[in-house]
Amino acid sequence: MKRSTIIAVAVAATVAVSAAGCSTASEAEGTADDPVTLTFWGAYGNGGNSTQAEVLNDTLIPSFEKANPEIKVEYVDIPYDDLLKKLTTSAAGDELPDLVRADLGWVPKFADLGVLVALSDEMDNFQELADATYPGVLSTNLYDGKYYGLPLDTNTRVLITSQEALDAQGLDAPPATFEEFAAGADALSDSGMQVFADGGLGAWNISPWIWSGGGAITDDEVTTSTGYLDSDESVAAVQMLVDLYANDQISNGIIGNAGATSTSEGLPGGNYANILDGPWMNGIWSEQFPEFTPIYAPMPAGDGGSVSVVGGEDIVLTSTSEHKDAAMKFIEFTQSEEFQMALVPTGQLTVISALGDQQVELLPYLELFTDQLATAKARVAIPQASEVDTILNEALVPAFEGTVTVRDALTSAAQKIDELLAEE
Amino acid sequence: MTVLRSGERVSAGVAEVLSATPAPPSRSRRMSRRRAATAATPYLFLAPGLVLFAVTVLYPTLQAFQMSFFDWKIVGSATSEFLGLDNYARAFTDDHFWLALSNSGIYMVLTVAPQIVIGLGLALLIQKKSPTQPLFRVLFYLPVVTSWVVVSFLFKFLFSDGGLINFALGDLLHVTNGDTAWLADRWTGLIAICALGVWKGIGWSMMIFLAALQGVPQALIEAANMDGANRWQRFKVVTVPAIWPAILFVTVMLVIGGFNVFISVYLMTGGGPAGRTDVLLTYMYEQAFNNLDFGYGSAIAVILTIMVFMLSVVQMKVFRDRNGGGAQ
Repeated sequence: MKRSTIIAVAVAATVAVSAAGCSTASEAEGTADDPVTLTFWGAYGNGGNSTQAEVLNDTLIPSFEKANPEIKVEYVDIPYDDLLKKLTTSAAGDELPDLVRADLGWVPKFADLGVLVALSDEMDNFQELADATYPGVLSTNLYDGKYYGLPLDTNTRVLITSQEALDAQGLDAPPATFEEFAAGADALSDSGMQVFADGGLGAWNISPWIWSGGGAITDDEVTTSTGYLDSDESVAAVQMLVDLYANDQISNGIIGNAGATSTSEGLPGGNYANILDGPWMNGIWSEQFPEFTPIYAPMPAGDGGSVSVVGGEDIVLTSTSEHKDAAMKFIEFTQSEEFQMALVPTGQLTVISALGDQQVELLPYLELFTDQLATAKARVAIPQASEVDTILNEALVPAFEGTVTVRDALTSAAQKIDELLAEE
Repeated sequence: MTVLRSGERVSAGVAEVLSATPAPPSRSRRMSRRRAATAATPYLFLAPGLVLFAVTVLYPTLQAFQMSFFDWKIVGSATSEFLGLDNYARAFTDDHFWLALSNSGIYMVLTVAPQIVIGLGLALLIQKKSPTQPLFRVLFYLPVVTSWVVVSFLFKFLFSDGGLINFALGDLLHVTNGDTAWLADRWTGLIAICALGVWKGIGWSMMIFLAALQGVPQALIEAANMDGANRWQRFKVVTVPAIWPAILFVTVMLVIGGFNVFISVYLMTGGGPAGRTDVLLTYMYEQAFNNLDFGYGSAIAVILTIMVFMLSVVQMKVFRDRNGGGAQ
């Protein structure tokens, strides 16, 4: 054989081998004897809450693997605070896992980076699965006209108060409207108890007040903020809080005082009469304040009704996944009654609207959260959502301190949000 | 001594062997090879450190420098748009950048001087050998080796609304009402952060000064004493010039460290309220890791690097000149 022939054969062989390697990688379907392994990252075990990760590892994943012997799922638990950083660096290094349980605020951010698969394009039964979920939480997956994930679990904030606070305000029931809420504050003056506390002025914090007051952060199509965030309704809702703050009826934790008594301590401790918080607080208080009985109520209603904010997580599929079909089977499994209901007792609200009643039967205190979710809205789902939080915070803190008017603050915030939306 | 002598013997032996070796051409070649090997030795010893430095410091620094000229997309497959100096221009017109820069500067000014003065004072106080000296040395040095994360949370707790500082100022000393919201305001927040920086850093400068004080020539102090110099004059004319290099070193290091403050701010106030206690590094971190704006974050980092470098050069020049004048 001539030397050139030998080289040609060697090259051909190499190409053939690597091509075979490629095809195995991209079309790998796995068999019961040789299953493919999906890697799934999430923060189920966050804050030492081992029950969620246990249900996933000991019940749900084994059940899925039994039904799909050609697939193995390896769940990796990552502390919530590290997850975004780890996802960012992994995206940079092309080392993302197949599946991620992503905070719903992160989905547009990663979709924008081009590291997620548009499930609405790739999954045959996407529409059917999507229709079964709450619209508010589903909308957090929408980016640039496509859905990049499906809701996995959800939560929302409701008003939480205590009997001590109701007594101090002379109320029989938690404040149901803005007027009752503000009147409660008057009754509390000089009592040492403040009517409300929150930990900031980002979208998670301020949106329920603006929406319930009949205002908005942007238009429905998320194209402009001017005319919505600075509308009379938005201004009036924020003004009510600013007035309460001026009367020392709202804790300065809301303007970012890291040294203020936290909401989770201040409500049981009698410092605060009302807070807005999620279903996870029940577990935290039962451990830290076993004597304390929280009273849950809907977000007080203004002209816009009682509207709260959607939180939770979505499941997303990365574009570098080599086992997309297997991963989509697992995504479908996460939308099943089995998966959703198994996690309810651990404090995860189901995203499937039809399972709402079943969830309340299981844990009656979730009824209020389930009802609130029916009208709850999602925050602005754009890649720069964290910048929206910064804009709101930086504009509203001076308004609370009284150095600018609420209208000026919201007008300038709206202009800055418009600039972000224009970058889209 | 034995070691030295045997060493001498070895080198003498080598010389004998070399002088006894015939054939000049091969000898010179071997000599040059040997010389080359000898010349390479220090570099071989330096190599592991240099490689480590290149991989973990130099490469990321250069990469950040490159990133600062782009709208950097972190994903390899995406194309990053070249922006030229836009990120730098943006920084100079960004009010929040200037706020963060001034906060870094304020932190630097408020922490460097106290650390030098108190550190030197403590070193002077405990330099005399006494049974309690090791105890104090350990006590003052303890904060230095304690984790930043732990002490940041400790200080956040101390300066919280219901914390020990408010209790001490209000209930014990009656200086304030005891209801100062330290972390709710830019200035009081920075004071709390600076207090941590000073408390944690004093031990370090104290140790450097303690070591430097050992090197002050005793004879000079005695001579000054004989000439009738009092304690302050002895300190000013003998001690300070003798420990001048240590003062220079401590100042330069503290200035660099002051501009690099991050963990305490991030954990105590998170830059809040509304970013008013942000320093350059917390602002850079927010841009890069929260907003995924790595290009702008890198530009901020490069500006910080250049500033710290220039400050260090200026300081060394100023100190050298002063030292020269002082020695005469």
